[in-house]
Amino acid sequence: MDFSRYDFDPAIHDEMFVADGEPRDHCRAVYEALKGLPDGDLNTIQERVTRSFSQEGITFTVYGDEEAEERIIPIDCVPRLLALAEWRELEAGLVQRIRTLNLFLADVYGDCRVVRDGVIPADVILGCPQYRLAMRGVGVPNDVWVTICGTDIVRTHEGFMVLEDNLRVPSGVSYMIANRKAVKAGLRRLYRRSRVQDVEQYGSLLRQTLCELSPGGRPDPCLALLTPGTYNSAFYEHMFLAHEIGAELVEGQDLLVNDGFVYMRTTSGLRRVDVIYRRVDDDFLDPLVFRDDSLLGVPGLMNAFKRGNVALANAPGTGVADDKSVYAYVPDMVRYYLGEEPLLQNVETHLCRRPEDLEYTLDNLERLVVKRVGESGGYGMLVGPHSTPEERDEYARTLRADPADFISQPTLALSRSPCLIDGHAEPRHVDLRPFVLTGNETRIVPGAFCRVALRRGSLVVNSSQGGGGKDLWVVDL
Amino acid sequence: MLARSAQGVYWMARYLARAGYLSRLLELQVQFLVDRSVEEIHFGWKRIYRCMKRLPPPGEEFLPETDEFALADAFTLADDLTFERSNPDSVWSTVASGRENARQMRHCISGEMWTCLNAAWLRIRDLEAVDIWRTPEVFYARTRSEIHNFVGVADATMYRGAAWRFMRLGRAIERAQLAVSLLLAQIDLSRRTERRTLGWASMLRTHHALEAYGRVYGIDLQPDRVLDLLVADPSLPGSVLATVQAAATELQGLDGGPGVEADAAARRLAGRAEALILYDWPEASAPEELLEQVGQSTRDLHEAVLDAFVDYAIEDSPLR
Repeated sequence: MDFSRYDFDPAIHDEMFVADGEPRDHCRAVYEALKGLPDGDLNTIQERVTRSFSQEGITFTVYGDEEAEERIIPIDCVPRLLALAEWRELEAGLVQRIRTLNLFLADVYGDCRVVRDGVIPADVILGCPQYRLAMRGVGVPNDVWVTICGTDIVRTHEGFMVLEDNLRVPSGVSYMIANRKAVKAGLRRLYRRSRVQDVEQYGSLLRQTLCELSPGGRPDPCLALLTPGTYNSAFYEHMFLAHEIGAELVEGQDLLVNDGFVYMRTTSGLRRVDVIYRRVDDDFLDPLVFRDDSLLGVPGLMNAFKRGNVALANAPGTGVADDKSVYAYVPDMVRYYLGEEPLLQNVETHLCRRPEDLEYTLDNLERLVVKRVGESGGYGMLVGPHSTPEERDEYARTLRADPADFISQPTLALSRSPCLIDGHAEPRHVDLRPFVLTGNETRIVPGAFCRVALRRGSLVVNSSQGGGGKDLWVVDL
Repeated sequence: MLARSAQGVYWMARYLARAGYLSRLLELQVQFLVDRSVEEIHFGWKRIYRCMKRLPPPGEEFLPETDEFALADAFTLADDLTFERSNPDSVWSTVASGRENARQMRHCISGEMWTCLNAAWLRIRDLEAVDIWRTPEVFYARTRSEIHNFVGVADATMYRGAAWRFMRLGRAIERAQLAVSLLLAQIDLSRRTERRTLGWASMLRTHHALEAYGRVYGIDLQPDRVLDLLVADPSLPGSVLATVQAAATELQGLDGGPGVEADAAARRLAGRAEALILYDWPEASAPEELLEQVGQSTRDLHEAVLDAFVDYAIEDSPLR
């Protein structure tokens, strides 16, 4: 692999290099091996990886894109490396954070001490559209609100930072496993030599975690994965996970509630369902409680859930904890609930609901990233440094009209990692999304869905916005 | 098994069986274009369209027998039966539908089956008639072979659970219906020609039965014997009897549906189709009438299977 044109920038943290041409210790062996590969070998591997995704139908759908219903997520075959010690540090931070967020959710749907004690203003929580009144006073199995969390992590020279906590229906884990399978097959010897930590036990850990939620500890619970259907952008993942955990892949139409219990329609009659891994948003879960026009959900599901006859993972209402406004308070929550200093830092966040933050944001639009509180997937955001004056003017008007709907953050110099571009190595910005499972205990496989902004200079890693994937190797070297 | 999943694998198998059968018919038909008479070529097209219960592109059953343009029109007909997106029974549409059902039910089939089918789909997805027209028989043979591969891969890798049974049931019912339909078309069309044996050899080839016929009856081709072989020989995998027996076997292997009556109705219909051939066929004075009855039984069986296992009334179901 040709690294001669690699554009090392000391201002940006590089995942492989500590200085120009000087690899980090844990990357040295992989770097030397990649560099020693004959020209064209990696291209062949890259083609094989892409072809395997196509043949196995590992696809996603872009909303509103009727022409390209099934798209392949571009994958770069050069792995991103993380030392095991770095991973352990990250893992400890993730465990601390998920403990905090579960305590927060129990609190905001319970006594609301966090508000009464003045840690978070009431209007931040009650004004959040993801706060579900229907969940007030509801208990959840083992006090676990967030069973599956996919935290977006970025790295700068200052270390790891949390960009977003995805606590509703985080996706991407299937790509973590698919990327691993494909890249491992392409770089067999290198993989073996690098002592890479395994991620393929994710399915069995997820199954174990979901089984721990079984109502009343019912043995050998019946699991179902509730999908919005085949047109959902993450349908491949739903199918993949259902297969991995031995669950039925159900749609709302397959389920019904009778006398407070949930049943699915099988070929031999109605069968009780104990745990539902739902990949349907809160709004669509139960038309009797949430949106009454929903055809994706199950009438009466919330009743069964509240009576403790079925477990839902994640619990409804978790979105209040990954709201972009609430996010700004997570470090305070860690101190409040655990009495500890946060191990993982947040990105500095300005809440435009505060007049001084709004003023700061408007004054610095060309330097900031501004996001809508309720949007995700890279939609509805302005990346200041990459915007035109006209775009900023337009955005400022929208921002002024409803400031509470926006936050702003500095444009981060996201770390970069080598990618195979046009046959040689070029740096591209990356983030990572590890998946945190919480049942009786918290479990994290040592790996992540690593997203990469494949367009030169782009900071947007979302697959819907031109991003791709990479395999993350946690190496014990 | 989830009722909707059972329905998905059942339809997957039906669509793919249809795609394979039609590919075989077209493979032989395009071979005819090379060296057969216009009459025989016309006969072949008519038989295919009758079998698929479709009218050719002009919208009526078509072209006088002497029409010399038949050869030139073969491209349009083949295109209509192969790549026409608006024809739900074209090869392209049936592979697409089979693959889409498989995509939605991937967790019910083996990964190898999915990969095999998806590769076939990716090959034909962007093709058009003009792309295959230099050697169309190669395309049809390959498509048929890919579907055979899929069935073989399923046999080698799929767990023998309810999904397996529903898949085999779908395949058997589809093959039975197609075989009956083609036989009825052949009987009717051959009555209208002076050449008594026209089309019967290709009936054997369609069902991969040429060698079997020679082994059982020798080289003398007699329509009655061909008909007997294709309808009532249990040792010929594509015979009507073998396919209805396969359907009955798969149904027997399934756990009962929630409604006792609907479940019994499905099993009774499978038995009836089999009994018609086993006991009535040898004495039948009007074979097409009996074949019509068998065909109706298989259509009823399809409805009964869905009633018993998928669309049953919730009140019929015990809570488990």
